[in-house]
Amino acid sequence: MTTKIDQDEIRKVIESVPMLSASATQLLQTTTDPDHDLIEIVRIVKTDATLTARVLKVVNSAAFGLINEITSLDRAISYLGERLIVGIAIGDCASQLFNKELKGYEGEHGDLWRHDLRTAIASREVVTQSNSTISPDLAFTAGLLHDIGKALISDYLHGTASAVLEKIENEEISDYLSAEEELIGFDHTRAVHELALVWKLPEAITEVIRFHHAPSEARDEFKELVYAVHLGDNIAMMGGCGTGADSMRYKLDNNYCQFMDLQPAALANVMLAVNDDFNKLERSFAEAGESN
Amino acid sequence: MGQIILGVGDYGASNRPGEEVKTFALGSCVSVVLLDPKTRTVGMVHVALPESTINKAKSVEKPGYFADTGIPALLSEMAKFGCNPKGKGMVVKLCGGANVMDTNDTFQIGKRNALSIKKVLWKYGMGAVAEDLGGNFSRTVSVSVDTGEITLSSPGRPNWKL
Ligand SMILES: [Fe+2]
Ligand SMILES: [Fe+2]
Repeated sequence: MTTKIDQDEIRKVIESVPMLSASATQLLQTTTDPDHDLIEIVRIVKTDATLTARVLKVVNSAAFGLINEITSLDRAISYLGERLIVGIAIGDCASQLFNKELKGYEGEHGDLWRHDLRTAIASREVVTQSNSTISPDLAFTAGLLHDIGKALISDYLHGTASAVLEKIENEEISDYLSAEEELIGFDHTRAVHELALVWKLPEAITEVIRFHHAPSEARDEFKELVYAVHLGDNIAMMGGCGTGADSMRYKLDNNYCQFMDLQPAALANVMLAVNDDFNKLERSFAEAGESN
Repeated sequence: MGQIILGVGDYGASNRPGEEVKTFALGSCVSVVLLDPKTRTVGMVHVALPESTINKAKSVEKPGYFADTGIPALLSEMAKFGCNPKGKGMVVKLCGGANVMDTNDTFQIGKRNALSIKKVLWKYGMGAVAEDLGGNFSRTVSVSVDTGEITLSSPGRPNWKL
């Protein structure tokens, strides 16, 4: 038996999770501003000793296989690139959410982080390999946060997965998103206003969280980005990286073709690149995390 | 019990009693399982994409990624266990190849993987005796060396056999 939840309930959940650090919030704002440069990123990281230490640990992890240790923050940041810095900052602050075991989806510990990381990489690859004008850094960051709502509603979906799957199979429900709505009156894309308030998320990111399963409903100025993450999300699930019972139970919006040119060969190369980069990044994050 | 765990694009074989050959979370990927009754060897390749023509360098580095290079690679691996290098007498099972919902042709990689694999197998005169392909869900696949039986699992469903 499930109970319906509403915005008030979700607000309570969000208030019980950690805030983003000041540096993570600033990094998010900066990365979504098209006219910024790497110096600003370096300046923000320098104000945060914990983040500085983590960045150095990640860059020197065995996964990157550097021969000489990097000890300067400037060099570490230019080596890793802006998106990984943002990834490290968000991953750290919100690790309680990313690492939550999604019992409501019958997911395993770490599934959400892996799915979000893979979606981030895939969204970035989609924009680079389809000659899109979207910033690859922005696509990565948006991909990383797109499903954070699952961590907020998962507990309310407890014990529902097998019944949902049966209904989808019998075509009584169209996809997993509708199932969430039907069961608890709230799907995982809807916690966005509360999250935006508490975490001060930039509009581009909230638009992705809200519409990544319905990209055609996004505002025009953000549509291309939302479509990129929509594809990134599907590519992550096709690569076997979902969050549990809901994996691959969402609809692909084929109108992405109006915004990006992704031919079958390009998609195949996206999938190869995603797999390689994911293995490397997952290892580097894990190694840097273990020594904490 | 021993396990051989295969990642995306990996292939491997075993003839050790009690052992399992396993791969996690096939989405659009397809696991090709070859069973050789004569030598009691189980082999598997985790294929991610239909054709190696899109990236020759990758197919040299990791032939298991692609249907057209993965199956020959698995057969040569199994030849080391005394199996027929052309796959004679082997039993074939296929699992995976799922698709997301409402997918267009470009995104139907699961379906194209399965088709391409069947084409390659056909060239060797082989065909699958059992398959669990398609649908909109991911599969974890584990083959017992003792029985050749495959156990499949997917979150939110009870396990099933093939
Ligand atoms: Fe989602
Ligand atoms: Fe997702």
